[in-house]
Amino acid sequence: MVPGDTNLLEALKAVGIETPHVCYHPYLPVSGNCRQCLVEQEGPRGRMLVIACYTPVAPGMKIYTPASSARVKNARKATQEFMLVNHPLDCPICDKAGECTLQENYMEAGQNESRMRPEYGKNYHGNPAHQFIDAKGQLRGGKHVDLGPRVLLDEERCVQCDRCVRFMRSIAGSEQLQLAGRADHTYITTFPGEKLDHEYDLCVTDVCPVGAMTAKYFRFQKRVWLLSHTPTISMDDSLGANIWLDHADGRIYRVMPRCNPVVNRSWLSNTSRLAFQQFDKNRLPAMDVHKPTFGSGKIALVAGGTCTIEDLAALRVLKESLGDRAEIFGGSLLKVGQPDGIAKSGDPVANRAGMKLLGFADVSEFMKRASEFETLVTVNANLFGEDPAAAKALEKINTRIALSPFDDETVKAATIAIGVRHWSEVQGTMVNSLNILQKLNACPVCPDEILWAPYEVVSHMAGAKFETAADAFKKAGEFAPVLSGLTYDAIKSTGKLLEGGEA
Amino acid sequence: MDIIESKTWIEWVITIAKFAFCFVPVLYILLLIPMERRGAGFMQDRQGPNRSYIKIPYFGKIRLFGYVQNMCDGTKLFFKEQFAPSGVNKILFRVAPAIPFAIVFLSPCVIPWFGPMVFEWGGQTVRIAGSIVDSDVGVLLLFGFSSLSAFGAVLAGWASKSKYSFLGALRTSAMTISYEVCLGLSLMGLLLLVGSFNLTDIVYWQEHHVWGIVAQPVAFFCFLIASIAETGRAPFDVAEGEPELVAGYHTEYGAMQFGLFYMGEYSHICINSFLIATLFLGGYSVPFVTTETMQAHMGGSLAVLCGILAFLGLAFLHMIYRYSRKLKATTLSNRFEILREYSLYKIVAWVAVAVFVILGVAAWFFYNPANFVVNGVAVGSLATAIGTALIHLLVLVVKSVFFCWVWIWVRWTLPRFRYDHVMHLGWKIILNIALINLVVTAVIAKLVGGN
Amino acid sequence: MRVIRQRPMNWVERLYIFECLRGLFTTIKHAARGLFRYETLPTISYPEGQPEIRNTYRAKHRLMLRPDGTPRCVACGMCAAACPAHCIFIEATQSDDPRIEKRVMRFDIDHLTCVFCGLCVEACPVDALRMDTKKISFMHRNREDFVAHLDDLVEWDPKDYPDDEQSQVAPGGTKNAEARKVWGMEVK
Repeated sequence: MVPGDTNLLEALKAVGIETPHVCYHPYLPVSGNCRQCLVEQEGPRGRMLVIACYTPVAPGMKIYTPASSARVKNARKATQEFMLVNHPLDCPICDKAGECTLQENYMEAGQNESRMRPEYGKNYHGNPAHQFIDAKGQLRGGKHVDLGPRVLLDEERCVQCDRCVRFMRSIAGSEQLQLAGRADHTYITTFPGEKLDHEYDLCVTDVCPVGAMTAKYFRFQKRVWLLSHTPTISMDDSLGANIWLDHADGRIYRVMPRCNPVVNRSWLSNTSRLAFQQFDKNRLPAMDVHKPTFGSGKIALVAGGTCTIEDLAALRVLKESLGDRAEIFGGSLLKVGQPDGIAKSGDPVANRAGMKLLGFADVSEFMKRASEFETLVTVNANLFGEDPAAAKALEKINTRIALSPFDDETVKAATIAIGVRHWSEVQGTMVNSLNILQKLNACPVCPDEILWAPYEVVSHMAGAKFETAADAFKKAGEFAPVLSGLTYDAIKSTGKLLEGGEA
Repeated sequence: MDIIESKTWIEWVITIAKFAFCFVPVLYILLLIPMERRGAGFMQDRQGPNRSYIKIPYFGKIRLFGYVQNMCDGTKLFFKEQFAPSGVNKILFRVAPAIPFAIVFLSPCVIPWFGPMVFEWGGQTVRIAGSIVDSDVGVLLLFGFSSLSAFGAVLAGWASKSKYSFLGALRTSAMTISYEVCLGLSLMGLLLLVGSFNLTDIVYWQEHHVWGIVAQPVAFFCFLIASIAETGRAPFDVAEGEPELVAGYHTEYGAMQFGLFYMGEYSHICINSFLIATLFLGGYSVPFVTTETMQAHMGGSLAVLCGILAFLGLAFLHMIYRYSRKLKATTLSNRFEILREYSLYKIVAWVAVAVFVILGVAAWFFYNPANFVVNGVAVGSLATAIGTALIHLLVLVVKSVFFCWVWIWVRWTLPRFRYDHVMHLGWKIILNIALINLVVTAVIAKLVGGN
Repeated sequence: MRVIRQRPMNWVERLYIFECLRGLFTTIKHAARGLFRYETLPTISYPEGQPEIRNTYRAKHRLMLRPDGTPRCVACGMCAAACPAHCIFIEATQSDDPRIEKRVMRFDIDHLTCVFCGLCVEACPVDALRMDTKKISFMHRNREDFVAHLDDLVEWDPKDYPDDEQSQVAPGGTKNAEARKVWGMEVK
């Protein structure tokens, strides 16, 4: 019933009892400083209050929750009240409002009358930036402390849960944040003269239970309850980090990591997180899709890294309709990096495993034999932009057809360019570097509704247009036996591990 | 030529002039529509339509207390496109609205508008009846005419090819027929007493005995209810009950075709009011004064008439002045505009009062039939007869206008009956009461009158 | 649960005719009032006669101002969240004033969609939004003009709200100078 090797908080969650907590985070080391998750445990010396997050479960434990113990209820309420003593009532201007742990806990455990007086707690009257002079006589604090290029800190809102410190220490592996001061004077800071600057530093805004850490790019942009969430996969890395696309009014406002225990856990790199800012810029408009003439010579069909399984299946269909003179390649000219162990594998070709499944040769092979081909069809593959020097050789190819969401270098160099939907706007699947089949969902933010998805355009060229992504996925099953028999419904939100996967 | 020479020219002139009375119901429509609209407004504590105006120099916007609105509506109805839904029976659809409106011109023929004019002309006594057709079956003719209007509703409902219209028509026909019976039966007692179907005789009897309402109070109530039901007005307007039937038999009609139904309904009210006034309220006869007395003191009678009219003018002026005073105290931004408009009414009313006073004084002091000689022909008795007719006509108009008001009053007071209640009331209550009334009247008449 | 049963009619009432007469009497009373006491009718001849509007009437919105003339709105979006008609559109931005942090950049109320329920006023945590302007008529040439923008909503005169202290704090009000002292900053 309860997983054995876990703590009491997770065990309670497993049996359906939510325990309010502030400092506990499932993927961070337990620190146990918020005391919000108090439960009562029957022990040899009677019933005593323990924190659920730091208590390992053991057989025969007797636990009392607020449902069965008034003492737990009162203890949590008191803890909550203490926590709110120094917390400003900023909710109207706080970006975290709506997804704030304190708000949730208050609704669940607190609901107490305020006993606050103006003379208690931190008083910032008179100072515009809400700064104050600390015990050492230094001016500090403030509503927006600039921690680094991407993150602002509001010291007033901070509840010193030290989640961000633990994240930077144990996950990011770069101890850039610290708790300074003691007791009531504790505050979060960087080392003197240093800035918070790390590939994963925006994750501290995710782990922050209150609105203390705010991302500069999302500051005051939108109230979070107005955002709709589309679960999808970040297609800029072959790990395929699971993300939420938070969108409203037809545009994406932010990208949040979607928890997937085996892929990216709760983390997301800044590159993946901020990539959305370019999604709606420099787009190719929709145009009439027609069947181009492919000439008489050999044809190269090159799929880019962001192609979904469906796009690849469509390319396979196109190749088979063209016969032996067509060859399919996939990949990119970018260098493959090293996995960072958090949420990136370093390989910019997101669907490399999918390409392997569907029999795509690597694009480097195509570059070697580029002079053989008379026609080049690129799908989401910005060969000219990725390696301009190497792509010089491609200019000898007569017909260069580019399918791309963006007006990039390849499109500029192409003889025919067709605008397609971006991966955030299509439904599809990808296989990540752990051989997990993951599902992309279409976010309704397409700048032009009449744009076609790449698989639609390619299959239209082949003469048999896929009406839905599901059709294309079914077709992919014919080419890759491991995908046959699968449907979108069979792929869970955390993906489906394919046979032969090692994760 | 014999028929022409059988009467003197003055008889021919008056006989032909009497045909003008055919248009009385149409004139009543012009009176009834504003009366209904503003009366309904006042009953519901509203103001009623009062915004349309005619702009004239100096006095500005003349609104005639909202009367202009009705002209506007009439004009609108007249100039609207006449359409017919597809699938209707084109001929019947066009003909149907004309039927109730045609009755408007038939019914007034038998109503006695004034007492028989008797005067000396060229040495012989001339007698001219007060109705266009002085028929001995006048009452029956009137009933016949007013039943005809049901044909319009039935044809309209059938020709419209709409289930709402059709149901409305069915209800109308059923209800009209039911209440025709009550209408006729409730009148029987009175006819028994008078002993004639001639409307002039009935009025004459009332003038010299008692009014029908005194002789036959139960019959009066039955007749009133039945005739309200027969006109198909609230609370008996189940035929066009909008919660169930959209608008009943004229659902598919618009523009002037609808206008004809509308006018037919109002003229039906008008005819029925005349009928009630004639049958139960002594018709044209002046209360407490016989025609002979009036003719003997024609000067005084005319003077009293002018006095009453002058008094009404003064009352109107009082209301105008009073309201002007109140208006000045308000903050209405257009109050001075309204006051300027009222100054016109004041002028007109003052002139009218002055004219009536002068006429009254002149009639009182200087009216002497013996002095009226035109070109050597003594027209004194003709003048007296015309004066009598005038007074009779006015009296009849006052009585009928009151009953028209009763129609409006009842409509805006009582809620609509359910259809089965209407039938229950007609067949099980009013019919029985009318029958009992007839029997009782017959018995009493036999016992008292002996004939 | 309380059941209220209709009183059965007695035989006089069941006769209906007397009840009819009573009804007729009621209506003639009203008709006579209209005829002889026309000015006492409750109807107002609207464009010429203006209705008296109470302070609590929910009319067109206005945005309250700080002593320095900036709108009080902190763009928290509570009004937009509370709005049942979804007629409020807010965009926020960073304020130059460090004490305020967040200020409103766009505040649109679509008065064609607005149902004038007043929930936005109730929801406002900083008393920035009010509906006490007593402006009840909205006349514009096209639909776009019915959308009140930020500059439109802050356009009001403290002299029109003499009894309201909060309004007098705004520039031009009687309490403005005092409030500026309390506010304690140079006015931008």
